[in-house]
Amino acid sequence: MRGELLTVIIVVATALAFDFTNGFHDTANVVATSISTRAMAPRLAVGYAAMLNFVGAFISLKVAATVASDVVDPGAITLLVVFGGLVGAIAWNLTTWYFGLPSSSSHALIGGIVGAMLVAKGPDAVFFEDGIIGKVMLPALVAPTLAFVVGGASILVLYRIVGRLRPRPVTSGFRGGQVISGGLLALAHGTNDAQKTMGVIALALVAYGSLPASDPTPPTWVVVSAAAAIAVGTYAGGWRIIKTMGSRIHKMDSAQGFAAQGAGAAVILASTHGGFPLSTTHTISGAVIGSGAAKRLSAVRWGVAGNIVVAWIVTLPVAAAIGALTYAVTRLFGTGAAGPLVVSVLIVIGSTLLFSRRAHEAATVAPAEA
Amino acid sequence: MLAAIDWDTLVTVIWASLLAGIGVTAAYGLAILGATRAADLGREGRVAEAGVYALIGVIGLGTVLAAIVFGIVVLSGK
Repeated sequence: MRGELLTVIIVVATALAFDFTNGFHDTANVVATSISTRAMAPRLAVGYAAMLNFVGAFISLKVAATVASDVVDPGAITLLVVFGGLVGAIAWNLTTWYFGLPSSSSHALIGGIVGAMLVAKGPDAVFFEDGIIGKVMLPALVAPTLAFVVGGASILVLYRIVGRLRPRPVTSGFRGGQVISGGLLALAHGTNDAQKTMGVIALALVAYGSLPASDPTPPTWVVVSAAAAIAVGTYAGGWRIIKTMGSRIHKMDSAQGFAAQGAGAAVILASTHGGFPLSTTHTISGAVIGSGAAKRLSAVRWGVAGNIVVAWIVTLPVAAAIGALTYAVTRLFGTGAAGPLVVSVLIVIGSTLLFSRRAHEAATVAPAEA
Repeated sequence: MLAAIDWDTLVTVIWASLLAGIGVTAAYGLAILGATRAADLGREGRVAEAGVYALIGVIGLGTVLAAIVFGIVVLSGK
């Protein structure tokens, strides 16, 4: 029992670490448009998003319920499966962060859990049709397409309404509007993404026996800690991804920024209400590209957009493979806490090397640019 | 396989996103139109027209705020 308690502590700590990387990696996308159009200063935008991420995590629990009960069989879950899934997601998040690619933390998490579960219990323990296809893959296709359409249609409507006005008040008006739309997007991100971690911790608590498999609703301490972890991760910021999202896809004016953020927030909030564990990265990318393409197709840097699409496609299978491999490695040490402890130490060493290498590269590039 | 998918929820997400995304953005556009034109016409001394545009601006902004509050209430309900 003491070994299991240590394992569940390691798994919960790993889940919160994933939540931190989720905030670090994903929420940058939320603030990128506000920064790009100079609606908000970078540090202020990040702090504002962090605060609203925290608040958003308390609004709904439908996505947490989907992750905890509709993706894999909660009755077959084990702590090592949850741990393997989390490691798959963290490894993929850190890799895509290193290369500056805004891939999906959500799909990484679900891919990791599914991969580990497939190795542990076989395909019968994974809900492929109604869970993976119906609640993950189909929304994964619909959401960015919908955000693209809403973002594009919104900017066309906006240009129709304000197109003949003097540019100065229009620009300042939309910059003010981006404080609202950016806040809504951050709130939407908190409602959807923090809930995925809550769902995973709920799965771990089911495996430990402190939550029933029939109703794995996360307790309050899980909600508060997941909200805090994603907010702190957000504040830590992901500047490389901000650069990609804010200016490398296309240069935006403040009306486009407002339309993109409004479209992203609308799609994410509607999906959260439907209980779909959506990729906020996919959605905001679709909205940003849509608002650019509606103005002028050539305004979008399609090469950068293409790299993002490739990252989307490979996320689920690669995270699943890492999750499966991690599960297999931890099982070599038995079913106790030894496997997760060894893998956790390896992750900390790998992350430290990755961060120090990135810091060294940044320090090398900065004097050259100066 | 298709029968297992919750199409009703998916269709609701699609129309709600379209309505909220385009509707709120357009309402905010009207708020900017109303405020800008009201200021311009007011400076020209065309008070009645300025008042109409100011009303459009207020309605636009009110619609945005009402939609946000409605959305949060719906989300935080069951």
